[in-house]
Amino acid sequence: MSALDQPRVEDSVVILLRRLHPRLKALLAQYRIPHPDTEDLLQQALLALVYQHPNIQHPEAWLMGTLRNKCRLYWRERRRKLYETVDGALLEGLAGPQAPGQEETELRHDLANALERLPEHCRSLLSLRFSQGYEVPELAERLGYRPSSINKTTTRCIAALARYMVYLGPGGKKAEHD
Amino acid sequence: MTEIHPTPEALEQFLLGQLATPEMREIARHLLTGCQRCHEVTATLWEPTDREEELSLAEDVEAVREEPRDRYDEVLDRVFQKVLAAETVVAEQRAAGRKLFAELMQISAERRHLLLSNSQRFKSWMLCECLIEESLAAGFEEPRRAVEIAKLATLAADRLQPEDGPSVEALTGLRARAWAHLGNAYRILFDLASSEQAHAVAEALVEEGPVALLDRARVLVLLASLRLDQRRFPEALQLFDRGAYIYKKLGQWHLLGRTLIQKSLVCNETGDSDSEMTLLRRALDLIDPQAEPRVFLSARHQLIKALHEGGRSREAFALLFHTRPLYLKIGDRSSLLRLRWMEGQVAFGLQRSEQAEVAFREVREGFGELGLEYEAALASLDLAGVYIVQGRTADVRLVAEETLAIFQKHNRQQEAITALLVFRDAARLDQAGLALVREVSDFLKRARNNPELHFPPSS
Repeated sequence: MSALDQPRVEDSVVILLRRLHPRLKALLAQYRIPHPDTEDLLQQALLALVYQHPNIQHPEAWLMGTLRNKCRLYWRERRRKLYETVDGALLEGLAGPQAPGQEETELRHDLANALERLPEHCRSLLSLRFSQGYEVPELAERLGYRPSSINKTTTRCIAALARYMVYLGPGGKKAEHD
Repeated sequence: MTEIHPTPEALEQFLLGQLATPEMREIARHLLTGCQRCHEVTATLWEPTDREEELSLAEDVEAVREEPRDRYDEVLDRVFQKVLAAETVVAEQRAAGRKLFAELMQISAERRHLLLSNSQRFKSWMLCECLIEESLAAGFEEPRRAVEIAKLATLAADRLQPEDGPSVEALTGLRARAWAHLGNAYRILFDLASSEQAHAVAEALVEEGPVALLDRARVLVLLASLRLDQRRFPEALQLFDRGAYIYKKLGQWHLLGRTLIQKSLVCNETGDSDSEMTLLRRALDLIDPQAEPRVFLSARHQLIKALHEGGRSREAFALLFHTRPLYLKIGDRSSLLRLRWMEGQVAFGLQRSEQAEVAFREVREGFGELGLEYEAALASLDLAGVYIVQGRTADVRLVAEETLAIFQKHNRQQEAITALLVFRDAARLDQAGLALVREVSDFLKRARNNPELHFPPSS
């Protein structure tokens, strides 16, 4: 059996974890990961370290980098859901076949105000999508985007709208892509 | 404007995507009205940007040290306990994986496949890791064995389930690595079509994800090496850059160093010698010569070569002088021959033809004895270059005939033989010049990785 096969007490992952405890905690707090979700994120990163430990140099940097990436992915997944919600809410409220009522008129007004804060190309794209009910392929054709890129562009514009709604707000600066 | 405001808890759940669709949509509509009061809550809950995070982490760590224990501490303690238990188990699995590998190598190829496909005992994560490592180690020395072992790794990886390892992400990463190493082994064997197929599987796994960053970087860098061999240089550069970015992010400086060395090869091929040398110098700063002497030596070797090829033979000579102890320390025959070869090339660059001749003769014979006829042929061409400069046309003819004969005996690569025939015919007519020697030499170097190349090049 080679030396690599033996558990190496001196560089045990647990010793590393004790040393990194404050930094791990600070990172999780900084990303505002809710406590119930923390355990999964942390456990996945740490178990991956245990499995790959012999092949990883500078495990501190690896662990912090990996956990930071997991925190980012955690938020990316939540944001994706948020964008879908914003998109769904507006499609449902504006692109339906029913005649415009009071609620829809208000929604159109609010959307128009929000779009004012977005870059020009997002304004055009989202107006066509929400106010005039254009489907994605039609948007590509009308606005001159490649079919392969229109989905990404649409998502980015919805993201800019969501960012305005949640983060920048009416008093904030102009919303841009992520 | 809607009069009823969502509670702060509901807003937080909204941002985390934890509410039912109707409630999510209701809050989205409310926020669209530009409600200042709710916006004040949501703005504080938005994910921090990377820049803010990098700037304030050090301060946060200090603040955390001062804080009383909280729920994060409880979670950390709980996870640490689990990891402690897992560490012992994984160490045992690693040892068991090594034993399984040794056992597997004792039996016939057919039985290996059978056991990996059916035996519960051979369904092992660490066996798969071991197969990947061994395929990499076999690499250039035994490329066919590397392919065979990498195939076993893909078989082992495809049979594993997420519960056999740390996570789904790790399993996808393991599979992607196994396929990427198979692609790499095929690449070393110059079977670029099979390499492309294996890499396509690895790429698809990475795209589908999720895959851990380190695994992603490893797959990208192996694919970059294929693109380099395929002479698809812009793609190779882009892939090396993506890999390097991840290694940097994860603080894996030695892997970053290795990647920069590989990237420098692209610059060498495209004739961008300034970038090549810059990359090699950065790589040398990142690689620990004590921990990875071979990698360090290969970077130094390439830098000496780049200096020499860039017409800076004096600097190359000085660096070669300082690197000699490392060549001697590594001490295997191939490394020593490469040292001698480089000495000959630098001496030739410094117009020390006699020294160069002696070195090239030794190198040609040495590679011939090792059965490395390709290297022997290239050293012969260097020797012919010396004779051309000295006006020794009879010796040029002799070297041309000998080289062709050796190559025809051991190598079936028709286009390489064609190139040597052109050189031999020119030598017979006393018309072989340095330019032709360089052309043939460059062609042999490129044709080795690409048997589809034609001589003379169509351009």
